[in-house]
This record gives sequence, C-alpha cells and structure tokens, in this order.
Amino acid sequence: MKKILVLMLALMLVISSMAALAEIPELTKEPLTITLWDIAPEEPNKSIQEGAVQRFMADYPNITVNQVHQQNDNYKQQLVVAMSANECPDMYIHWAGGPMAEYYKSGFVNDLTEMYNKYDHPDFIDAAVAQASYDGKVLAIPFGGLSGCDIFYNKTIFAEVGIEVPTTIDELEAACDKLLEAGYVPFALANGSKWTGSMYYMYLVARHSGNAEFDAAYDGTGSFTSPAFIWAGEKIQEWVKKGYFNDGFNSMITDNGEDRMLMYNNTCAMMLHGSWQVGSVMTDNMDWYKANFGTFRFPEDTEAAAAGVPQNVEIGTAVGNAFSFNCWKEDGSVDQEKLDACYVLATQYYSDDQYNEEQVAVGRTPSIKGFDQVEDENMKVVIDTFFNASNVQLWYDQYLPASVTEVHKDCMTELFGLTKTPQEIGEMQDAAMAAAREG
Amino acid sequence: MGKHSRRMLAETSQKGTALAATLFLAPALILIALYMIYPVIDTFVTSQYQWNGISADRIFIGLDNWKTLLQDSKFWASFSHNLVVMVFSILLQIPLGLLLATFLDSVGRKSNIFKIIWFFPYLMSSVAIAFLFNYILGTNDGLFTSIATLLNGKRTIVDLLGKSPQALFAVIGVMAWQFTPFYMVYFIAGYSNISTSLYEAAIIDGANRRQYLFKIAIPLLGPIFKTACTMSMIGSLKYFDMIWNMTQGGPAGGTELMATYMYKLSFQQWKMGYGSAVAAGMFILITVIALLFQKVFVVKEDY
Repeated sequence: MKKILVLMLALMLVISSMAALAEIPELTKEPLTITLWDIAPEEPNKSIQEGAVQRFMADYPNITVNQVHQQNDNYKQQLVVAMSANECPDMYIHWAGGPMAEYYKSGFVNDLTEMYNKYDHPDFIDAAVAQASYDGKVLAIPFGGLSGCDIFYNKTIFAEVGIEVPTTIDELEAACDKLLEAGYVPFALANGSKWTGSMYYMYLVARHSGNAEFDAAYDGTGSFTSPAFIWAGEKIQEWVKKGYFNDGFNSMITDNGEDRMLMYNNTCAMMLHGSWQVGSVMTDNMDWYKANFGTFRFPEDTEAAAAGVPQNVEIGTAVGNAFSFNCWKEDGSVDQEKLDACYVLATQYYSDDQYNEEQVAVGRTPSIKGFDQVEDENMKVVIDTFFNASNVQLWYDQYLPASVTEVHKDCMTELFGLTKTPQEIGEMQDAAMAAAREG
Repeated sequence: MGKHSRRMLAETSQKGTALAATLFLAPALILIALYMIYPVIDTFVTSQYQWNGISADRIFIGLDNWKTLLQDSKFWASFSHNLVVMVFSILLQIPLGLLLATFLDSVGRKSNIFKIIWFFPYLMSSVAIAFLFNYILGTNDGLFTSIATLLNGKRTIVDLLGKSPQALFAVIGVMAWQFTPFYMVYFIAGYSNISTSLYEAAIIDGANRRQYLFKIAIPLLGPIFKTACTMSMIGSLKYFDMIWNMTQGGPAGGTELMATYMYKLSFQQWKMGYGSAVAAGMFILITVIALLFQKVFVVKEDY
C-alpha cells in the first residue's frame, strides 16, 4: 500500500514537472517559408511586431517569414478576396468573434486545441482563451492586448458640482441630474459610429442579467426582446429624453475624436468608451489628462444584484488582435511542419519579454496573467475591472454574426434616435439572428 | 504596273491594316473582356449560388437569390434613394454647370481664376470630400450649427447627417458640389464648339446677347445636354464612394444606395451570392433606365 502511494506521489511529481516544462514543438531543419499578414504598417506596431519576427528568424535561420503589413481600413475585404482566390496567408491577424467563426467554418483556420494543451504558450487569462475559441476549440493565439470598457469622467467638473463616483445605476442617474442642473451634458456620445451607443446597451443588459439573456438570445433559446434588453432600451431612451447625451450625437464620428472634443470643451462630463481612450487623451493633451481625467467601472444594478445577477460581467475584448493559422497540404490534410512553426512564432515570440515590454510601453496590457500591475491610475481601474471579471463579453458588433452586426448597429441609431422602440429593435435583431442561424 | 499587281498591293495593304487593327485593338479588347465582360457574366453566375465568398463549397440555389431580391424591401428602399439622388443630381448639377459655364463663356479670359477655383472640387478625392463635409455638416461646431448658433444667440444644433430624410438631401448637396464643375467644363467645351460665325451672323441680324444665348447657343448645346443627363443619371445610379465614406448608408439606412447595400452584403455580411444578385439587379436596372432615357430623348429630337 505504502509503495503504491510513494509511486503515485513520484508519478504526480513527474507529471507536474512535465507540465511546468511544457515543451515547444521541434521545428523542421529544412527551408520553410511562412506568409504572415498583419495590420502594422505604422509605428509603433511596425517595429514591435517586426522585432518579434526578426528574433524568430534569428533563432530558426532556415525559416523565412514573409511579413506583409496590410492597411487596417480594407484589411477584412482583402482577406476575404485572398481566401476566395485560395491565396489565404499561412498566418493572419483578426479580431476573433463572428468573422473568426466564419473563417473556421470555411476551412481557413487550423484547430489548435490539441497543440494548445500539449505545448507551451503564454499563461493567457481565461477570458482571452474563451474569446479565441469557438465551438469549444482553440482557434487563435492572442497577441494584441486587452481593451476594457469604462466610464471616463472629468474630475474637475465632478468636484465642482459636488458628486462622488457613482457605484450604482441609481447613483449614476442622480449624478446625471445634478450635472444637468449645473449646465453640463452628462455623457459625450458620438453615435454616428454606432458601436459607441452599443456600449451603453451592452453594459445595461450585462448589469441587468449578467450573460444569461444575451447568451440565450444568441443561441435562440431566448430573445432580444427579453426583460433585460427591453429594460436597457427603455433606460437609454429615457436618458436621451432627459438630455443625458449631447445633441446631434447620431452624426458624430468617434474616430474623428468628436466625443473627446465635447469632454475637452467642458460641454460633457463623462463618456462610456473603450480603454484605448486613455492613450488617446494622453496623446491629445497630457496636461488636461493629469488635471481632469478620471475612470470608473460601469455602476451596478442594485435590483438585479439583489436577485443574484452577477455584477462583474464586463464588456470588452480580451484578445485585441489574434493570429489564426491556415496551414494545409495539397490533399487537404494539416501541414503540421508549417503549423508548428507558426505556433512557435505566435506563442514564443509575439509574447516574449521584449515584446510584452514594448507593448506595455505604448500603453497596452497583454492579456496574460500577471500583467495587472500598472502605475497609471486610470489604466489601473481598467485593468482591475478586467481581471476581476467573472466573464468578459466581447463587443456585440464583433461577437455577433456579420449580418446581425449590421442590423444591431442600425438598431443603435434608431434606439438612440428614438425612431424605434426597444421592442421593435429587439424583434429586428431576433429576425436577423434567426436568419443567420439558418445560414 | 498592271491592274493585277495594284489589286494585290491593295489586298496586301488591306490585310496589313486588318492585322495592325487587330494588334492595336487586342490589348484594349483583352482588358475589356477580362475586367468588364467576364466579371459581369461571373456576377450573374455567382448570383445563383448561396456562398459566403470564401468557402470552397458554393451551393447552387438557382433563382432563389433573385426571388429574395424582388421582395427585399431594403433593396427597393435603396433603389428609391438612388432615384431621388438621380432626379436631384440632374436638376442641380446640370443647370448649375450650365450657369457657371455661361458666365465663364461670356466674361471670357478675365474669368480664368473662377474657372480654376470652380473646377477644384472635382479634382478632390471623394474620401477627402467626405471627411471635409463630415466636419462642415457636423453637429460639433460644424458650419451650419455655428451659423444657427450665431443667429439664434444660443447653442442650436443643426443635425443634417444624423436624421432621415435630411441626411439624403445633405448628401445630394455634397454630390452637387463635387460634380457640378465637371458639367461646367463640359458645357464650356460645348460653347467653344459653336462657331463664332454664328454669333457674328446673329449680331448682324440684330440679335442681342440674351437672344443669342437663349435662341441660338443653348439650343445648339442640345446633344451635350443629352449626354450630360445620361452621365449624371448613370453616375447617380451606381454612386458609392463619397456616400460610403460619409455615412456608410446611415442613419439606419437613410442614405443607403444600391451600391453601398451590395458592398455591405458581399464584403461585410458574408453573402457574396446574394450580393452578386444585387449587383446584377443594379446592372439590369441601370441599363433599362439608361436605354429608356435615350429612347425618349431620341423621339423628342425627331419632332
């Protein structure tokens, strides 16, 4: 009996040490060329990503990486054209979500599940692995860092009006009313971009029902007209009517910085936005940033919390950018030699110490465990929110199938523009989702 | 040299001409076949498949896409937007172009500076124009909002791009700004084709400038009108770039045109088969309208 116990202990030790020393696949010694598409034609991404490739090629001189920088603007179309002409690159960047599923179903993505379990890889946070997976299979290796979604506010205005950072939605509404009285517009919104309005919708749904109702609406067991969606839609329209958002938001474009402008000229006091805004504001005006810029997590729904709905389902992307691989032989079987090389490049070089250091230096947070220590107080809020999340829901406009995304975005114009009711946009999204499920 | 050999020579040179013609036309013909005829045919072929644009298996579904197209309210809404754009383009761009051309023609060389300034919008890229007008029409201290605020004495928002149907008319206005210069130059060329002897004859016969303009010059521009209208019409029916960069068909489809709808389906929603049906439908509609238009005009000219 004792012997068996000792043996088992020894075995466990061996297994655990094996896990710690997880290997990387041994790469071919023959000449090999990998074609890689990224969207890094500009600094700082260009040198960060070229650096990773250069280090890889220095270690494996027989492998050539043909790194092609595409323009972000028409990258998705270019990729589709390449795929349809059967000239899909061996390794390419994407943003996970619906398109990744589409690439996979069309046979342009290698299933990495087995390799991911067997070989070494960065210790990605769970949300990142979840977002890089589809149908229970690991399909991509993240490398772009995470982006959260939080409320950014003007500390000076809050102090002047005398409001504390709200932690519940009721407090948030009270704060908005106070701001209105003092002559400020509570939220800056550039909803011409549509995904900006979607952030309010997504967060209200998440606070009211966690992930339950969205997941059900997604797989068809529920509906976009279920209580949380109606509640979120009504809340938004109530806020619009009360003047919580700036006038004319439906024609403002966030990429032109029109919402930030409303913060800078003291028209608006807050905006719900992606965490990349922190970097943008720093670049725009560091002095203003230091004097005024604050961040808080989207407030909680007390009623839902009392009913047991988790209040830490957050919105954002844990993947940022990810690589998928397209390595097949002529006969349609997996080209393992090439796939191994791609896997090593993505897991060992697009996340080595130097790569991560350079990423952090330009304000990004790798979605790898242990990167939750940041100095900047605003990024600290973003990161804490993210790392404490029970689940991170990917932006609807990336998560939903592409045809539904289009409808969802139009719905955001109509919802905020008060031209359709929450019930009507729910039905529109249900119809689009049903059509997409049929294929 | 006998008759025989002369014919031989003629024949050889004819053969030579045919060969040369073939050689010179070949590059153009090949390019047209490759980049115009083949894609048009392939669009019609693809329109009979259910296909996401990348997958190896395309499912043949016959005319199903076409049936969907006939009942697709979004497509017909886009088509009606195209028709509105078409009517207003013709009503705005051509009269304005004629007006500017008439001014430039009657003032002569002294107005060259205007010619250059007025032609400028046509030289700008559509993307740049879209960017520029997003700011001008914008609600964030855009031109109209600023003027309204100034006149009203308090902050007044003029939201031209965020609401329907204003958005469509705002875009039509920008299109007019972009394309009027083209018709201006077109009419200037038309005026300069009118022989000066006609003008001299008219003046000798006692006509004043106004009479010359309305009774002689403008009627002589007739054929040019016809071509200009056809071009403006086809241009508005297949318009894409500036709208795409300015509104992407928004707000909520308010400025959606057939071409933007087709693009969204094909390249954003993974419906290459149905997108091709829309493209083919566009092709048919544009051809039919253009032919009808030509026919009506020809009949009128015969009177």
